[in-house]
Amino acid sequence: MYRYDEFDAAFVRSRTAQFRDQVARRLSGEISEEQFRPLRLQNGLYLQLHAYMLRIAIPYGVLSARQLEQLALIARKHDRGYGHFTTRQNIQFHWAKLEEVPDVLDLLADVGMHAIQTSGNCIRNTTADPYAGVAIDEIEDPRPWAEIIRQWSTVHPEFLFLPRKFKIAITGAAEDRAATLFHDIGIRIVKGKGGETGFAIYAGGGQGRTPCVAKEVRGFLPKAELLSYLEAVMRVYNLHGRRDNLFKSRIKILINALGIEEFRRQVEEEWSKMDRVSIDLPQEEYERIAAYFKPLPLVPGPITNEQVAARRKSDAAFDAWMRNNVLPHRVAGYGIVNVSLKKPGMIPGDATAEQMDVVAGLARKYGHDEIRVTYQQNLVLPNIALADLVAVYDTLAEADLVTANTELISDIIACPGLDYCNLANARSIPVAQEIARRFADQSVAEDIGKLRLNISGCINACGHHHSGNIGILGVDKKGTEHYQITLGGSPKDDAEIGTILGPSFPAEDVADAIETIIATYRANRLEGEEFLATYRRIGRDPFKAALYGNPEAGTRSDRQLQEA
Amino acid sequence: MPNIITANLLRSGDVVYFAGEGGWVRQISEAKVAYDKEELAELEEEAQRDADQNLVISVYAMDVDLVDGRPEPRSVRERIRATLGPSV
Repeated sequence: MYRYDEFDAAFVRSRTAQFRDQVARRLSGEISEEQFRPLRLQNGLYLQLHAYMLRIAIPYGVLSARQLEQLALIARKHDRGYGHFTTRQNIQFHWAKLEEVPDVLDLLADVGMHAIQTSGNCIRNTTADPYAGVAIDEIEDPRPWAEIIRQWSTVHPEFLFLPRKFKIAITGAAEDRAATLFHDIGIRIVKGKGGETGFAIYAGGGQGRTPCVAKEVRGFLPKAELLSYLEAVMRVYNLHGRRDNLFKSRIKILINALGIEEFRRQVEEEWSKMDRVSIDLPQEEYERIAAYFKPLPLVPGPITNEQVAARRKSDAAFDAWMRNNVLPHRVAGYGIVNVSLKKPGMIPGDATAEQMDVVAGLARKYGHDEIRVTYQQNLVLPNIALADLVAVYDTLAEADLVTANTELISDIIACPGLDYCNLANARSIPVAQEIARRFADQSVAEDIGKLRLNISGCINACGHHHSGNIGILGVDKKGTEHYQITLGGSPKDDAEIGTILGPSFPAEDVADAIETIIATYRANRLEGEEFLATYRRIGRDPFKAALYGNPEAGTRSDRQLQEA
Repeated sequence: MPNIITANLLRSGDVVYFAGEGGWVRQISEAKVAYDKEELAELEEEAQRDADQNLVISVYAMDVDLVDGRPEPRSVRERIRATLGPSV
């Protein structure tokens, strides 16, 4: 993975020292809260419902063992013993103390980390395929480009005061595991006509109150010209993006207003006038950065292992874990291990300091010192030899980290919701917990198959409800928590925004409603058909009928309709 | 409608309630209640002084119900906040 050079390290140290001084001046009363607020936000420090929250950047979701151990130390020493992994592949600590934050930032700087650009109207942490560099369906590793974008976008003077926050995602694989089409800019590595690789550039995707699927701005961009092209997109947005209305300030609104053709024309025109040579990265610099991501010297081995096979026969839980959580690696004889942070009944995305230490220890001992964070709020050990899988499983099991539910119904994305967040209308976590409990039975969950269930506690959609096959949105209805259900969203290549099914449900009825939806799917599906495919084939009416029934019939659904 | 004043401590971020006489308490039941507009204006002014003194931030008034003479939050948000931690 990438290591800071002297410039990076010195810069982060100087920012940390600067913030220490700003905090001291705030505590002494030298500066007011009004003056301090933008400064703390520029360092990832928010004020939430119960306390300060510190959001820490994990560039493209890649961590070393040392970094994860440092996060564990911070959780233990400066927080309440746990952290929350987010849908931007970052981590949040929910109980930060202002007077201790400078010390936390020093601890982060010790391991090449920081909280810069995790808030504010700037380019946020660039996210990427969590299986980058190891996936079997990968055209090319996107991490060098993610790192290049990180360096380019970090304190880029032109893009620190954009109309609104800006999110970029990149993938180099056939399957989109980075939800690129729900980003302000989505980048996909693609093959050109001559077989050379380049980028397809999409823009204007996003969730929030105006969900949009990104549109293609350019089908093929030569790789060497990425930065200048991104800069042209940013310039058009920076110039024309609305600063007069917070709700209309994202690039998706601009693109919808201009139309993609006009937006593209303006980008291309800007690009044609730019001094690209001074912006694009020289080949030597690309090679210097790419060298950090060269494939590990893994020796291909047999794709079967006797110890693993024997354990699978004798241990159903291990077998289920192998089936669901361990994916093939690009090198034969290795696996990609998904570490679920979604045990039914637990808080989605939360990890205790002990769990972080366990995963870090495994990465060091068996995993070539690498951990990934996924936007579905799980962890990944991307390089585990088949021969080590039993040992890895047993260690993870001791830390309660072997729930075999990767991409199953209980692998729920959930924002912190009203349990922590100042913006939320309703709680997300208890709803996620109850649904996960209902589908905790392994054979039931596997029979239901791949399904994305996402929950947001407000329309800002941090829990990605719009892109869930089943989406749940918390709303405030006359002071009580209600939940709207959407069906048919997809975060992948076939990206789609879910459709609202009908009136919202009170909290206590949500899990029942999900059970009804699942029962409807199981009754209607064809052999081997996943939830989304069934929904697309039969449409929402059967689900609607099952949930809301006939209003004349006076069922419980009738009451729900009347309350709506 | 009865009101109380809430805020967060600057240093720790802890949720606190104004108990009058310059005191901030963690337990909502110990908060000082304003029963009318005038009392609320007085409380707000007192509380604001502590914000000006950089003791607290994010100061605001909130509606409460009185149960056995003690203030209890009305909204879901404030009920969760008053438990001083998540509901889960």
